[in-house]
Amino acid sequence: MELLTTLFPGIGTMLAQEPAIAIARIVLIVAGFILAYMGFTRKLEPLIMVPMGLGMICVNAGVLFLSDGSIGTLLLDPLVSDPTELMNILQVNCFQPIYNFMFSNGLIACLVFMGIGAQSEISFLLAKPWTSITIALFAELGTFVTLAVGMGFGLEPGQAAAVATIGGADGPMVLFTSLIQAPELFVPISIIAYLYLSLTYGGYPYLIRLLVPKKYRGIDVEVYPPEVPQKTKFIFCVVVCGVLCLLLPMAAPLILSFFIGVAVKEAEILPFQELLEKGILYFSTFFLGLTLGILCEASTLLDTAVIKILILGILALAISGVGGLVGGWVMYLIKKKNFNPVIGIAGVSCVPTTAKLAQHAAQDENPFAIILPVAMGANICGVITSAIAAGVFVTTIGMVG
Amino acid sequence: MSPITYSLFAYGLTAVISYVVIAIIVAINAFMSRSHKKGTGGRKEG
Repeated sequence: MELLTTLFPGIGTMLAQEPAIAIARIVLIVAGFILAYMGFTRKLEPLIMVPMGLGMICVNAGVLFLSDGSIGTLLLDPLVSDPTELMNILQVNCFQPIYNFMFSNGLIACLVFMGIGAQSEISFLLAKPWTSITIALFAELGTFVTLAVGMGFGLEPGQAAAVATIGGADGPMVLFTSLIQAPELFVPISIIAYLYLSLTYGGYPYLIRLLVPKKYRGIDVEVYPPEVPQKTKFIFCVVVCGVLCLLLPMAAPLILSFFIGVAVKEAEILPFQELLEKGILYFSTFFLGLTLGILCEASTLLDTAVIKILILGILALAISGVGGLVGGWVMYLIKKKNFNPVIGIAGVSCVPTTAKLAQHAAQDENPFAIILPVAMGANICGVITSAIAAGVFVTTIGMVG
Repeated sequence: MSPITYSLFAYGLTAVISYVVIAIIVAINAFMSRSHKKGTGGRKEG
């Protein structure tokens, strides 16, 4: 037996650890395989799930006895805070630099947001601006309901706010808010957020069918985004960036990241646009997924708070979806039935997934229905409202007594 | 502030700031369109 544990420490450490942790490691290895496979088959988002699944497998399998007698891995240790110890471990654990210099300070969230900004077409917003922002606000309902419920579950205000941002359906926003508001829970919050966001593609069509009867799903909304000069769009993003930073300085890194992407696109700085859209976005998405997977150590996820986050996360996304569709119905009534309620789901800012979902749902009933331009407007507004909500939380959460 | 009161406050504040942002974009778009029309001569002769 001793020979076994010496030759194969990955198995030996399981025998040396508590049974609960050993079992959790096996469960997470299997879960990692399932996530990676579902990413491969495109049932879940492959950009995140393939690296995350493999990271999860390796961090739970590749455990060994370290030189000081403790049990750990050579991948990364998120709990090291002593500067001297950190400097030593940065030279040992291969993914430690990624974690400390990009992940734990929110840089990776900002880089992803730059890429999203560079891909966003804000002229969709101008097709029906007031309608789009109203739908986006209805779709934020899940965030604010979950905030109150989370505090009712016994979470601290900052922790509840971090979990509630899952309702905004924006991965970088969740990462950023949880790093500031609840650093002790940001690993489970981020993992659960990205897992659920991958599942929205599968779950939301059923919500649409439940809340919007067949005869309303195929309503066509003929609107074409106005031809807005690039100068106008550029001035808009520079002005709004400044205004939002003035109002919500705590969210300045995210606001800057999104609008710098948009500004680069509208200024037609093609090398930068390509850098942000392709290089930086895919680089940061890859390492985001991989680092999240590596952080899925058994001991981290055995925290009892994880169960609360699992429940609150699904609640947030479900209520946001319902809220968005309610917003769609409100617009249907205001516009005297000249609106497709399905567009409401696009207010949940999973860009462009929810806008595409809305278009597919409409086209399934009416092949000539083109609602994508309006749905994209609501989608982009959803990103803006999620960023504003995150900024409001980090700025004002101290007011909760 | 109680959790429910804070949630309502935060929702309201998010809504206000969001509408301000949209008002800015609509205003910039309207202003730039008017400037463009003045620049190219908005009136037709004849």
